[in-house]
Amino acid sequence: MKTDSHRPLLFINLTIGWHGYRSLSPEPSLPAMADSTKDKIKYGLLKGIDVSGFKVLDPPVRLLFGEEPQKQIRDIAKYMLLPILFVLCCILLWSVVAPNHKTRSGEVPGPSKVLTAYSDSKRFEERQKEKASDFKLEGQERLAMVKEVETELASLEAKAAELSEEAAKIEALAQEKMAARIAPIQSKLDALKAKHKAAEDARDAQLEALAGEAVAGEVSSDTLVAFIRETEAIEEKADAAEDVYEEQLEEIRSNPPSEVKDAQLAANRVADEVQHYKKRLAILTKENRNVKEAEYLAKIAEDKEQLAAASTAGDVVKEAKAIARNTERAEDVGSQTYPRTATIFWQTKRSLATVFVGFIIAAAIAIPVGIMCGLNRIFMACMTPIISIFRPVSPVVWLLIFQIIIGAFFPDPENHPLFVTLNQDKFFGWIANPIAFLGTNPAMIFSACTVAMCALWPALVNTALGVSSVDKDHMNVAKVLRLGFWSRLFKIVVPASLPLVFAGLRISLGVGWMVLIAAEALSSSDGLGKFVWDEYQNGSSQSFANIILACFVVGIIGFFLDRIMVFLQRLVSFDDGSATA
Amino acid sequence: MSLQVYEPVEEPSLSKFVEISNLVKEYPNPYGDDFRVVENFNLNIRQGEFISLIGHSGCGKSTVLTMLAGLNEISDGGIIVGNREIDGPGPDRAVVFQAPCLMPWLTAFGNVMLGVKSVYPHADKATQTQIVEHSLSVVGLADSMKKYPREMSGGMQQRVGIARAIALQPKVLLLDEPFGRLDSLTRMELQDVIIDILAREKLTAMIVTHDVDEAVFMADRCVMMSNGPKATCAEIMEIYFPRPRDREEVFNDPAFFQYREHLLAFLEQRSHIKGDTRIHNRSNLIGYLDKPALTNLENKLSVAVA
Repeated sequence: MKTDSHRPLLFINLTIGWHGYRSLSPEPSLPAMADSTKDKIKYGLLKGIDVSGFKVLDPPVRLLFGEEPQKQIRDIAKYMLLPILFVLCCILLWSVVAPNHKTRSGEVPGPSKVLTAYSDSKRFEERQKEKASDFKLEGQERLAMVKEVETELASLEAKAAELSEEAAKIEALAQEKMAARIAPIQSKLDALKAKHKAAEDARDAQLEALAGEAVAGEVSSDTLVAFIRETEAIEEKADAAEDVYEEQLEEIRSNPPSEVKDAQLAANRVADEVQHYKKRLAILTKENRNVKEAEYLAKIAEDKEQLAAASTAGDVVKEAKAIARNTERAEDVGSQTYPRTATIFWQTKRSLATVFVGFIIAAAIAIPVGIMCGLNRIFMACMTPIISIFRPVSPVVWLLIFQIIIGAFFPDPENHPLFVTLNQDKFFGWIANPIAFLGTNPAMIFSACTVAMCALWPALVNTALGVSSVDKDHMNVAKVLRLGFWSRLFKIVVPASLPLVFAGLRISLGVGWMVLIAAEALSSSDGLGKFVWDEYQNGSSQSFANIILACFVVGIIGFFLDRIMVFLQRLVSFDDGSATA
Repeated sequence: MSLQVYEPVEEPSLSKFVEISNLVKEYPNPYGDDFRVVENFNLNIRQGEFISLIGHSGCGKSTVLTMLAGLNEISDGGIIVGNREIDGPGPDRAVVFQAPCLMPWLTAFGNVMLGVKSVYPHADKATQTQIVEHSLSVVGLADSMKKYPREMSGGMQQRVGIARAIALQPKVLLLDEPFGRLDSLTRMELQDVIIDILAREKLTAMIVTHDVDEAVFMADRCVMMSNGPKATCAEIMEIYFPRPRDREEVFNDPAFFQYREHLLAFLEQRSHIKGDTRIHNRSNLIGYLDKPALTNLENKLSVAVA
């Protein structure tokens, strides 16, 4: 009679083991137990932890409130410290193993390199923000900023000069040391080379003599061949002996002492900063949009004077045209924003927006269709072939199909009303547009559609399952109460199937997030996928570390998306969510 | 005073408030004749009467009840409730199921309100609330209206189930083994709740039960069903305890034990017989009771009438 017992088994076993130890606290959330404020806070916290699925935080909170300290400490050791230790071990293993594997793109970056990549990305993002704000500054603020940047630049330049001098000094010193190390080997090598040269000359002379004798018929040609082969063998040996020394020299030359590297890095960092400040100065002065606008306005004023002074019809037209052109330019410049380069942070936001759009589309289709499938067996029979055939199709195929189909709707995306609306600075001229920074474009739309197409199925199947497996007793109650179709649907069927629907949506979001990264990589739609692909293509010294950084970003965001869904699922689960997570 | 006073009143509208005639339930059997679970089941129920339906497991008690509720299709024969032949389920025949069947996403109040809203769609909010609150306080849940099913014990949940049924103000209350899943203490409490309600609301009721004590204590007539297949009404025993019934008094009455003995003997005897359709409709109580028990009961009844 009760279907609850087998219902949630279908898709639920995917959870990671954060709460694999439910037995710890069988009833953490009985409100009746809260008789003092302290208890209320405690049980409120525990309830929150339980609902959000971070059961691992349960023992520390209980410890904090002094409940059975020994047991809690034991639990903390078992379920928090040991896992943390394990993760640390993994990181240690990574940092030991990674540098030993040399690849075409350099050695595999370890944790520290990935951290550096993260801080570099962060600095890059900050600089982008500075430049973007500089681009818009006007009036007194701009002048003040120019002054600030100039002073900073001066001090930085001084520092850079100092550092590069120091680096040069250190390098010279290192060179000296290196020369000292090289000299003995070099002299040995030279001696060896001279010796080999002499031997070679001698054998050459011998060969000539032998050849003469062969012509005269005194020795057979076989002897001559044998001599040549012997010579080659000797020369090979000599080369090998020289190579040993050469390799030693190469080793010394290609591995300058670490202090040289450090000094160069420090100098480069400051030089980099100097470059940035120079660029900022340029943006603040001649590239600033308000400065440019002012220039055009000045030109217009000049043109107007000339227009007034013009005597011939041709001159008048010429000046009028110039005014028109400059006015247009001034307007253009005035509304420009700084063309930012994509950073991983911006790409992340874009990816999140895309997956959200795709997920909403998927849910909007899957839930109603799933409900219909669950309610009507004929409809289910009609949908089954479609579901069965399209569910296994790879996201890559969907992406290409959508690219063609959706691309056809936007022949001129720059001026398409949809994108013009979505990307304008302000709605109706005064409400700031919160999604303008995303730069919506057709690539984003078809990435979202691909996500929707792939995320649709788990939600659809689970909704259909949830609706069709509503407890028969509940349906009997509905019959006795003579509930109409709609109230039966919204008061019995939908609430009863919500936990399964949300379980499906949770899987959908996970699938969608995974699909999105691949779709972005393939379709060059801005986002984390494109970030990874670009890094792979550009192959700079840091791109490998950036790819691993992106891997962590994708993983952590995926984890939090899943947590959000678990949270929602538990909110709608009438059975306290115990069976559904 | 003679016991004849308590013989059924032969006024048709009252004596045949519920009329079950030639009721048949059959399930299709692909390899032969249709499988008849219930056959030729006849029963008339007076208005305000409490019927208990007892018999061996699987004999078709619940089938008869669910057919009366309209949840189970009637294969042949018919059921008339209050001069109208039934056609499907309806709020005039409220059911209390064995499992409480509460919507777990609604509070006790919400669960009862669900039914009230569909039966009184045009009543204003205050009236609806009043009905819900009244029925919940009748079953003793005035303080637990805002609780969710998961926060309530099985007994409390079943109380909500009863409140939901009586809030519909049905003509007939159908109880399908309502206390089967409860412990004996809770079961007794709820039996008293039901008896109180019936005394107050003058409801006609039918209870399906396995419990011999319950069948005797609660009902005015006990319908004993023969074993299936082709189960039918084998015997009807009239139980003449005065109402409202007091548990202690009834359980201490020698007549109670004799009714009980008879029921047990019937069940014992029936466990060896299959598919007997004989009807021994002995509406005379003399057949079940010995002389002292009869005299005792006679005295009690005369006191109650006086």
